[in-house]
Amino acid sequence: MHIPDSFIPLSQAIIYWIIALPFIFMALRWAGKEMDDTKVPILAALAAGIFAIQALNIPISMGTSGHMVGATLVAIIFASPWAGVLVLTLVLLVQGFVFADGGITTMGANILNMGVVSGFVGYYTFSALMKHKLSLQISSFVGAWLGLLVSALVCAVQMYLAGTFPLVPGLVAMGTYHFIIGLIGEGLITAIAITAIASSRPDLLENRSLARGVKT
Amino acid sequence: MSSRSNMKFLYAGLVIALIIAVLAPFIASSDPDGLESAAEGVVSEEKLAEMEEAGSVFSSPMPDYAIEGMGKSGEVAAIVVGTLLVLGISYGLGKVIKK
Repeated sequence: MHIPDSFIPLSQAIIYWIIALPFIFMALRWAGKEMDDTKVPILAALAAGIFAIQALNIPISMGTSGHMVGATLVAIIFASPWAGVLVLTLVLLVQGFVFADGGITTMGANILNMGVVSGFVGYYTFSALMKHKLSLQISSFVGAWLGLLVSALVCAVQMYLAGTFPLVPGLVAMGTYHFIIGLIGEGLITAIAITAIASSRPDLLENRSLARGVKT
Repeated sequence: MSSRSNMKFLYAGLVIALIIAVLAPFIASSDPDGLESAAEGVVSEEKLAEMEEAGSVFSSPMPDYAIEGMGKSGEVAAIVVGTLLVLGISYGLGKVIKK
């Protein structure tokens, strides 16, 4: 879902950057408050893992592929969507500048979609489901899936405003592909990773109560 | 949270990330991603060609996770470099910004 430079006119790309900046600032402020020597290695491991897994495109049929985004996973572990914004910002910076994956002018939009929208929707969906006594696996699966789907729909609206995609066909195409990418690439991998961490290192989950009910 | 066991988590995470980095060029799908597929479906060929022509505003050293003329080994190297770079930046930022 990395938007290249040519997909959004510069004037609009700048607006997305301006909207993204306060979110990046808040993410840095979160890190300033929450980071300590014990948490830095966790942040770095998650950032490196998410960069690598974003290079692993999974075929989803229809001649299309997709990969995990990871903001929801990071947000659940740190019990804060700002953690997801921070990690995705760092990953997108390296992807954009070093690997031409996602544009530079459009990086603001990419940070908004993949860091902010997918992470916030994913994390708060997850939290709401956990409150309703759903299992850790189901809550993380559905949260991650919905986060990705909604961010793809937001991206389709941006493509419409940019004059690049027509509105309804754009929403249908983006929605269809990312409905599926979200199931496999995002939901399943997030649920597996969270389950593995909750059973091997329950102390790592910022929100300790999450580890309850997971067989160790 | 002890810092020693968290360093273990970092090493484990790095090993998993590097395994993915080495395998990705061989097992990742080269099909277009959701956004590209959507573009091919809903954008006219003329406009797609125009957008292709416009390219990107910045000349990246390893575009598309590849090193020119190095084939698969270059792709492995590119993703490994990127993984280590992200690890280093996030670790460094975390250390600088921590309370």
